[in-house]
Amino acid sequence: MPPPKRMTANPSRPARYRPGKATAADSNSSSEDEGEDSNAEQEQETSAPAPSASSFPKTVTSNLKNVDINARKAAVREEAARKAQGTAINEDEFETEEESGAGSGGDRSESEEEEGYSEEEESSSEDDVATRRKLIRPVFIKKGARTAVAAPVKTDEERWAEEESRKKEKANELVEAQLEKNALAKAAGKKFWDDEDIVEDDVDDTDGLDPEAERAAWKLRELTRVKRDRDALIAAEKEREEIERRRNLTKDERDAEDKEYLDNQQAERDGKGKMGFMQKYFHKGAYFTEDLQDAGLDKRDIMGGHYADDVANRDTLPEYMQIRDMTKLGKKGRTRYKDMKSEDTGRFADYGGGRGRGRGGGGGDRFGGDERFRPDWDCGGRGDGPSGANASLLGERKRHAPDERGGEKRARVDYG
Amino acid sequence: KADAKALLDDRGYSGALIRGQNPALLFEKAVRDRVTESYYWKEQCFGLNAATLCDRAAELTFIGGTYGDMGKPTPFLCLAFKLLQLVPEKEVILEYLNFEDDDEMDDGEEENVLRNDIDQTRRGEFKYLRALAAFYIRLAWEPVEIYRTLEPLLGDFRKIKRRTRQGFTLSYMDQFIDDLLTKDRVCATALWKMQSRTLLEDLDLLEPRESPLGDELDEIDRD
Repeated sequence: MPPPKRMTANPSRPARYRPGKATAADSNSSSEDEGEDSNAEQEQETSAPAPSASSFPKTVTSNLKNVDINARKAAVREEAARKAQGTAINEDEFETEEESGAGSGGDRSESEEEEGYSEEEESSSEDDVATRRKLIRPVFIKKGARTAVAAPVKTDEERWAEEESRKKEKANELVEAQLEKNALAKAAGKKFWDDEDIVEDDVDDTDGLDPEAERAAWKLRELTRVKRDRDALIAAEKEREEIERRRNLTKDERDAEDKEYLDNQQAERDGKGKMGFMQKYFHKGAYFTEDLQDAGLDKRDIMGGHYADDVANRDTLPEYMQIRDMTKLGKKGRTRYKDMKSEDTGRFADYGGGRGRGRGGGGGDRFGGDERFRPDWDCGGRGDGPSGANASLLGERKRHAPDERGGEKRARVDYG
Repeated sequence: KADAKALLDDRGYSGALIRGQNPALLFEKAVRDRVTESYYWKEQCFGLNAATLCDRAAELTFIGGTYGDMGKPTPFLCLAFKLLQLVPEKEVILEYLNFEDDDEMDDGEEENVLRNDIDQTRRGEFKYLRALAAFYIRLAWEPVEIYRTLEPLLGDFRKIKRRTRQGFTLSYMDQFIDDLLTKDRVCATALWKMQSRTLLEDLDLLEPRESPLGDELDEIDRD
């Protein structure tokens, strides 16, 4: 068979040897000789559409798949047939196949060179096929020795179905096993809704590990409870007694006791240090009094404390640093406010020196040099007398003739 | 209808009342919402009645309120809320509580030691059921009955696991009962204010408490 024509002008060359790859010769020759038209056609089809770039990968690979399956089926079939016949004949077939396949395989290899993309795939698949085909290359069998080839087709399909059904069964079993596990776990009381936050709990709540110790611990707790109850009773009792006692005192005695109590409080307050001038005010806080008492810190003197950088005399500092809260020094949020008195701009209660000067100096006409502020003296020491509008007496009102006035002053009702 | 709509919607509530109000209001709104939105409530607490609740409670392994950042409720809390929804009868609750009726008082006598051990292993499974019942009693019943029913449990010194925000701690049944009787807030619930025992004693509704350590206390006093 002449080498198949390629579209190029290059002469076609024999296939190069690539190690590990089935020589195209063997697979091609075997597929040819099988006598199955479909395979041969497919192979030709695979070689024919190779040049068209658009359909190149798909058609080739799809055909490739077909080739694979059919080739494998054929291989299995042929294998069975061969096994039925016996081993001696197979060996003969091996030899003949290799010998004769070399020649005719060369043509096929050239055609396969064109299919560069899937060449390796095809050759690898045909590698497997080739190894099988070595066993099943058809050789003339005498009539008496022939076995029916039609039956294996069906059995092969059946086998396929069997395999699939087996796989399905396995899958079902797996699923069933999983479900059983789930059910067991649920029965054992595990909580799936809690699976996300499984916290290590090394707290053991089994009883009876050490009965005596447990009993002793319980006794201790019970005793503390009893003690607590008793103390509460005693405190209530004391309070009642105190109330009774105070009721029995007279009023004066009660007042004396109260005064004593208040004096004690005052003494406590005084005993604490005094605040320095312009010292930052700290309050001990109203919320955690119980905690403070537990820690023994409730009687602290917060304002009387001294710290290392405390300045005795604030005036020695520059004015920039004379602030109440030294933590704000240098910060942008510091206010320039010092105290109210220094910020005050008015002159309240400061006019003691001004009155005498005004009266003595303003004798005669002039009062501080401003005519407008002269008082209206009624002693008449000056010859001016009333000025301005009060200078002349009011005269009588001029009375006009009644007819003229009536015309002017009558009510005008024509608003048109 | 098996859902909790009737319970949670306060306007048309017509079920059993506890102290004149909807039982669900004994839990705060925040806690109620957490419980109702939790998976445990939705899966396990749907359509429970007293008997099936018993089964669920028997599977409990710890007590607690809410835990974690998100305030996830414990199954204990969910079941307590379910009990509030159901408002079971007194006998039922007493059954939960005194699952083994025999030995709540530990005498400490030698003859009874063996018996107590056996009984503890027998009733060891249901201590959380007992704790649940005690919690419900503290929420739902009247003060006199609370004191009368819960004080015998102060002799039960079994260990219980308690789930806090960060993890688990060990506690004891009598400690838990004591907290129920004295503290303000247990298991994410603000317990309603009860009259103190002394007040009830003054009103002659209760008798002064007899501690299980009665004999030993007398000995100590004599010393």
